[in-house]
Amino acid sequence: MNIHIKTALNNVRRSPFQALSAVFILMVTFFVTTILVVFIYASHQVLTYYETRPQIIAFLKDDSKSEQIDALKSKLEGDSRIKSITYITKEQALEIYKNATKDNPLLSELVSPSVFPASLEFSVRDLSYAEPVISEIKNESIVDEIGYTASLGGEESLTDVVSRLRKIAFYVRIAGGLFIGFLMATSLVLMVVIISMKMSFRKREMEILDLVGATSSFIRKPVFLEALLYAFIGVVVGWFASFLLILYLAPPLMRYFQDIPILPSNALNLLVLFFVILASEMVIGLALSLSGTVIAVSRARKRK
Amino acid sequence: MVILKLSNVSKSFGDVHALDSVSFDVSDGEFIFITGPSGSGKSTLVKIILKQINPDSGEIIVLDKDLSELKPKDIPLIRQKIGTVFQDFKMIAERTLKENIEVVLAVAKVPQSEWESRVKHVAKLVGLEKRLDFFPNQLAGGEIQRGALARALVINPTLILADEPTGNLDWETAEGIMELFEEINKEGKTIIMATHHMGIVEKHKKRVIGMKEGKIISDSGAKKHEKKETSKEKDKEKEKEAGEEDMSGK
Repeated sequence: MNIHIKTALNNVRRSPFQALSAVFILMVTFFVTTILVVFIYASHQVLTYYETRPQIIAFLKDDSKSEQIDALKSKLEGDSRIKSITYITKEQALEIYKNATKDNPLLSELVSPSVFPASLEFSVRDLSYAEPVISEIKNESIVDEIGYTASLGGEESLTDVVSRLRKIAFYVRIAGGLFIGFLMATSLVLMVVIISMKMSFRKREMEILDLVGATSSFIRKPVFLEALLYAFIGVVVGWFASFLLILYLAPPLMRYFQDIPILPSNALNLLVLFFVILASEMVIGLALSLSGTVIAVSRARKRK
Repeated sequence: MVILKLSNVSKSFGDVHALDSVSFDVSDGEFIFITGPSGSGKSTLVKIILKQINPDSGEIIVLDKDLSELKPKDIPLIRQKIGTVFQDFKMIAERTLKENIEVVLAVAKVPQSEWESRVKHVAKLVGLEKRLDFFPNQLAGGEIQRGALARALVINPTLILADEPTGNLDWETAEGIMELFEEINKEGKTIIMATHHMGIVEKHKKRVIGMKEGKIISDSGAKKHEKKETSKEKDKEKEKEAGEEDMSGK
């Protein structure tokens, strides 16, 4: 075994509680970070769902001619802000009504297709486009009325829906980011403290190595390897614990949110998401432990 | 070939002159005692040769390198060429004797495939082949010092620097260590030993540099160096006489 790895492992064995505290703090940091990242991901998914979900319905006047309807449809299809345009005839509208009221057939028997106006239903690519698009479509001669299906928490206008969702997503990101930052800073400080303590325990050994001609990098390599080992274990254990927790909570959460894909619905995509998180956390974890070690080493050099 | 050359080396700590215009040189294969009471500057001299501290003035050339011109990154390289034995052994307590010796090989970047044979060789030389897996606290004082000597020898150094290597040992053990040094010297290694153990110095007839209050007050080998060019046989006789004079002067 490489002498530096052997020394690093010996150092871990020599002070197991310091090693455990380093691993624990990193584990907690990355456990919470993983959960927060998934939470931010889920909130983003909710926002995207609502941003893309609102179907704007342009109810058409009864006297609208098919050429006029086709012309409007083509115009909307050419608009980059709009997607998924569907023309709903009076008959289709009745079918939709019947489906919606199938529990009470009496309601659908009392109505005829003529009651329902034909309509053009579509979504906007971003909810912020909804209002200008509505204003423009309202001016079309064949459009009788505009309706939309998006609503959240009883808001009356689309602007409220947009602003509320955006605010929620913003606060989730900010609060999550701040909390992750706080955890990272705590981990960094603790890593500096633990590595400094370990270095002062090894002071005599380092002095001896220096006297027998060891270079600075030779002396520090085990210190860095030890810190990297803490980061590796802390990240993997923290990530794995949160992965298990989320796997456990995912089915009830996905049932609760129904159509909103807060997590990827298939196993492969879920694994991809989690492995991307693991890879990012590994990079951050290793950078964190390396930074902590660099600070600890430079402090030790200053004291020397 | 001159292994070590000091010219007017001075070092002060505040008002205390630890070294005051110290000059001498050491040839390849020599065995030198640096003697003197505590505070005479022996340890300062060893520290300066190892570049643990820098002199205030003067020139030091170790193994053809001028220490004053040595960059910090090159200091380990010069230390790797010097085998050092300390009074307090300086063995890493958390490593076995074998690991203590191996670490020096790792420092000197000796291929790992050679470690086993080299460690066994030096352990046999110092009589510790059965103690290799012992930790320093499981060894007797003399054994630790022999282990330290094995560590110094394993890199096959040109120069061995020993700072009071028998300081913490009883007479019998110290003699055993000295015999090892003698054997090593016979193999052609240059040895500089700082010691205040006059019994040892008197028993082993070697060149002796006496120090007091940071100054060289005697050098039994100085005349030898001066007259080397005239006649080797005459020199040797005169060297003995000069050595005897110096010793009786103390």
